Amino acid sequence: MNRITHYLSTGLAWFIGFIWLFPLIYAVWAAIHPSEFATRFSLFAPLTLDNFKEAWNQAPFPRYMINTIAITMIILAGQLVLCTLAAYALARMQFKGRGFMFALILMQLMVVPEILIVENYQTLAGLSLIDTYWGVALPYLASAFGIFLLRQTFKTVPEDLENAARIEGCSLLGIIWKVYVPLAKPTYLAFSLVSISYHWNNFLWPLVVTNTENSRPLTVGMSIFGAPESGVDWSIISAGTLISVGPLLILFLIFQRQFVQSFMQAGIK
Amino acid sequence: MSSFLSVSGLCRYYDGAAAVDNINFEVSEGEFVALLGPSGCGKSTTLKMIAGLEQPDAGDININGKSVLSESPGKRNLSMVFQSYALFPHLSVKENIVFGLKARSVPKAEQKKRLDSAVDMVDLRPHLDKKPGQLSGGQSQRVALARSIVSNAPLCLMDEPLSNLDTKLRADMRSEIRSLQKKLKLTVIYVTHDQVEAMSMADKIILLNKGSIEQAAEPEIFYEKPETTFVASFIGHPPMNLISCEDVQIGVRPEHVSLVDESGLNVVVNESDYQGSETIITTTYQGSIIRAILEGKQSIPSGSSIKVRWEPASEHHFSTKTSKRVDTRPGLLPFQ
Repeated sequence: MNRITHYLSTGLAWFIGFIWLFPLIYAVWAAIHPSEFATRFSLFAPLTLDNFKEAWNQAPFPRYMINTIAITMIILAGQLVLCTLAAYALARMQFKGRGFMFALILMQLMVVPEILIVENYQTLAGLSLIDTYWGVALPYLASAFGIFLLRQTFKTVPEDLENAARIEGCSLLGIIWKVYVPLAKPTYLAFSLVSISYHWNNFLWPLVVTNTENSRPLTVGMSIFGAPESGVDWSIISAGTLISVGPLLILFLIFQRQFVQSFMQAGIK
Repeated sequence: MSSFLSVSGLCRYYDGAAAVDNINFEVSEGEFVALLGPSGCGKSTTLKMIAGLEQPDAGDININGKSVLSESPGKRNLSMVFQSYALFPHLSVKENIVFGLKARSVPKAEQKKRLDSAVDMVDLRPHLDKKPGQLSGGQSQRVALARSIVSNAPLCLMDEPLSNLDTKLRADMRSEIRSLQKKLKLTVIYVTHDQVEAMSMADKIILLNKGSIEQAAEPEIFYEKPETTFVASFIGHPPMNLISCEDVQIGVRPEHVSLVDESGLNVVVNESDYQGSETIITTTYQGSIIRAILEGKQSIPSGSSIKVRWEPASEHHFSTKTSKRVDTRPGLLPFQ
């Protein structure tokens, strides 16, 4: 009986894994074969790298890549700093209205970001930040999810450690930097992964707020590249997609073990 | 010149209830003072206020004649050893020890010098590169001690540092801490709920109960001349017998009670507790419990009647009304 459930669950896991992986497998297939094989499976189809060359030349990929990396990094850096400070205050400082503040932040998790697009656009236009890195990044600089996650982690740090550091002469920022941050490392790693993959792939907001190559990230660039009016060539689109998801994919494969471990430790599923 | 540390009128309230209620005491330089008391008596709160980790609601704390209330913990020139050891799990033993020196930007050479001498003092040389997770309880406590030693702070606060260790190790560490304190001429405030630690280590004991000082004196005074029934029933193994008798309570230590054949107090044996070198016999006399420590193994069946007595000189008297010691009622023996 046990053995049957074991085989069943293993089989199911493989099946779900295959479904999840299928688009990627198709993209690889389409990208490395001439376009006439894009929707036709033949084991002996000729291999080619022309699609990558074509895609690379048709769109300013290096520029998009730089934009995406810059925007993702600005957001990540802002989130790490702001969430750390907010989480510490919510976890360890006594002030009036702390519980209410935390509830407000949690409530914000329930608001779908898309409904704020118009409002955010107006604000950023007022700040003349349209079509800049900061314009794309600003609405995401603080993350309710990050604050919540770090607050929960900070709460598990024994208070005696903070007391010891205070007696040893650490300032408040020193305590956060030398005691809380190192102890919350798995949480930081897990949160960073979630944040990077979300903002690397974010589409709607950058589409609204960017106008030119100056700040346009990969996702938006890809969509223009693959727009129906320019004629759909699945092989080239697949090649472009692989170019844009490639760095993230390689990063994940390299750090796979650490990521999984830190997710387990941070208690996120 | 006034005393090294003086605490005056110290109060701390939690939700209106006094955790520490008007505490006053003085500590001179190089003295080892134990803050003793049951849990919830306010001893740890007092220590935290001295450290600056908590702010008092009233009162003052002076170190070297200067009020330190407005100073942050790091500026009070003191070190602290925690019950939980409070070692940073992500740092090696070495980094843990010099943590405070780094935070205070002490020069590298000086850091190394202090580290070396402290490590030899507490015998940690083979463990310097380990992480706290790889250490035993005793070793962890040594790291905490070393961290306190390298700070060169003249005042060291210890919050139940030995209560997480097993009995044998605790006894070793007691004498080790005491000799370290003498060697470094440290002033130590040592919080404990264990009377043995207080009696064996301290120059002076301050016994707290419900946020107030019951008695502050040398260990032998605690044993010989307890000021209140609380002190009497807290100190001793087992503690002093208290027998109600009209308007006084008579206190006798179990080790002063002896078994006699005649002209003694008639008591009924409840149980005998054999402990190797001695037997503790619990008896009842008119509703009061009287314990006696007898040498060797004594098996007296429960329920049997025996006679006990003690020397009148080893008797203590406390007023029933105030629970305070009264010395003006000599010769009151419950048996003639």
